[in-house]
Amino acid sequence: MIKKDLLYTSEHEWARVEGDIVTVGITDHAQELLGELTYVELPEVGAEVKIGDEIGVVESSKSASDVYSPAEGKIIEVNDSLEDNPEQINEECYGEGWICKIQISGKESVKGLMSGEEYEEFLVGI
Amino acid sequence: MGKFDKAGCFFYQQPESASKKSVLYNEHLKLTNKSRMADFAGYVMPLWYSSIREEHGAVRSAAGMFDCSHMGILEFSGAAAEGFLNLIATNDVSRLVCGKAQYSYILDAAGNILDDIIIYKRGEEVFMVVVNASNEPKIKAYLIALKDGSAVVDADDAGGKIESWPVIRDMRDAGSDGESRVDIALQGPASLEVISGMLEDEVEREKLEKLGKFCFFEANVGGIDCIVARTGYTGAKVGFELYVNPGRASELWGRILGNGEKSGLRACGLGARDSLRIEAGLPLYGHELDGEYGISPFEAGYGWAVKLDKGFFIGKKAMVERNESFDMEVCRLELAGEKGVRPVRSGDAVISKDGECIGWVLSASKAGERQVALCYINRNSVTEDDIGGVYYLARNKRQVESGKREAVNKGEKIEVELSGKIVNRFENF
Repeated sequence: MIKKDLLYTSEHEWARVEGDIVTVGITDHAQELLGELTYVELPEVGAEVKIGDEIGVVESSKSASDVYSPAEGKIIEVNDSLEDNPEQINEECYGEGWICKIQISGKESVKGLMSGEEYEEFLVGI
Repeated sequence: MGKFDKAGCFFYQQPESASKKSVLYNEHLKLTNKSRMADFAGYVMPLWYSSIREEHGAVRSAAGMFDCSHMGILEFSGAAAEGFLNLIATNDVSRLVCGKAQYSYILDAAGNILDDIIIYKRGEEVFMVVVNASNEPKIKAYLIALKDGSAVVDADDAGGKIESWPVIRDMRDAGSDGESRVDIALQGPASLEVISGMLEDEVEREKLEKLGKFCFFEANVGGIDCIVARTGYTGAKVGFELYVNPGRASELWGRILGNGEKSGLRACGLGARDSLRIEAGLPLYGHELDGEYGISPFEAGYGWAVKLDKGFFIGKKAMVERNESFDMEVCRLELAGEKGVRPVRSGDAVISKDGECIGWVLSASKAGERQVALCYINRNSVTEDDIGGVYYLARNKRQVESGKREAVNKGEKIEVELSGKIVNRFENF
């Protein structure tokens, strides 16, 4: 499942841009590949991140996968509830399963992301 | 093809080739989508259908069915078969009676494990040998190399020699003369009633109920001719493997799914296969056997399958030496595994109560609310009181930058991050 109103990375993160706040999560395709998640390592609030920086780890019993930042800015909020309920990402990856929020300084901070259509095509090609 | 050095090591580089579809490929696509299929040992196989947790649970509480049609099945027949197998395998084939199976190892002349196998004795001169899918090409190459003399039989001048050869054929090859077979496993407490319900013959039902571990018989299961064996790889006290003609495997799969539904049977993928065998303490070739540490059968807890008191077998001298001195062994560690606990992984360090690294995790998996890890640790530390727990290795660059270690050597002092305790080497369910 792909949401048309979100932006995507080739590493299967999604970004929802609302003003200068970017909410970040992993895509349905990513959670499907990982299987039932058992552990999520969240970034630190206050950390300054660049596009492509490792901002967390999502782990299932079979594999661990890095989460990369889709934006440049400052981490202003993390989804603490994932620490106790990592399976929220499996259940609702675009909703309750969000990972963190990044404050950005302008549109330049999210450059190079794919649209929903582009990500859909990208998935067909891999 | 293999190359050999003086010590009798057999090296084999498997040529790269595209993964094959198992004979049950279309059955898998009825139950799950393509994204859950992955390449494994040369085959495209399902990782899971619903979830690893549900499928694992089904095998423990009801029954699970596994596509094992990728496993290699070779037949050794003729007057020379028993003697030949006794020479290339570590267990004593001469003790095997018809209708019984035996766990064993194939070694090279230097004592390296080439595969762990099960030998089924079907007749005085007919043996069915099941090998790991990932090792099948290597074992076939090894047999050819033994035949053409390029593989060493006896590196130590112990008088070992292959006197005569049996007829060897690939039983999965539907084109070969004679019967063909592939493996479908049915494991868990309800597997008996599921198979029993598919047997039309009263005598066969009685045989099934009385079937001992590592015994087998031929039966008509739901109208399909099968070898029904009480063997498996899940640690289930009740579990079977059905060896069926590849042309009828899909039919059997479908009938078992239909008949098993009321008993809670589920199709299970590779994920549950791995978590079940880890929970039970069963070794996987390349992890708890051989692999990066070159783990011997003695270290893995399977010394009983290497009969040092029988005559010559390939790799015997090395086995005698390995049995006399080894200071590491495989153990089973139980750790917390509830939600929010980071999963333990292969390579993580095992730490003693004194805070010293005494070995490493080989395989680990979640099993209910706990994690079970098979570890390779100092032999003299294998008591409950000596273990502190596990130190997680760095999972990514960011963790390395913040000081997390990428490797820990034995003897190093390092803190325990998740406490654990030693439990029995094996567990049956």
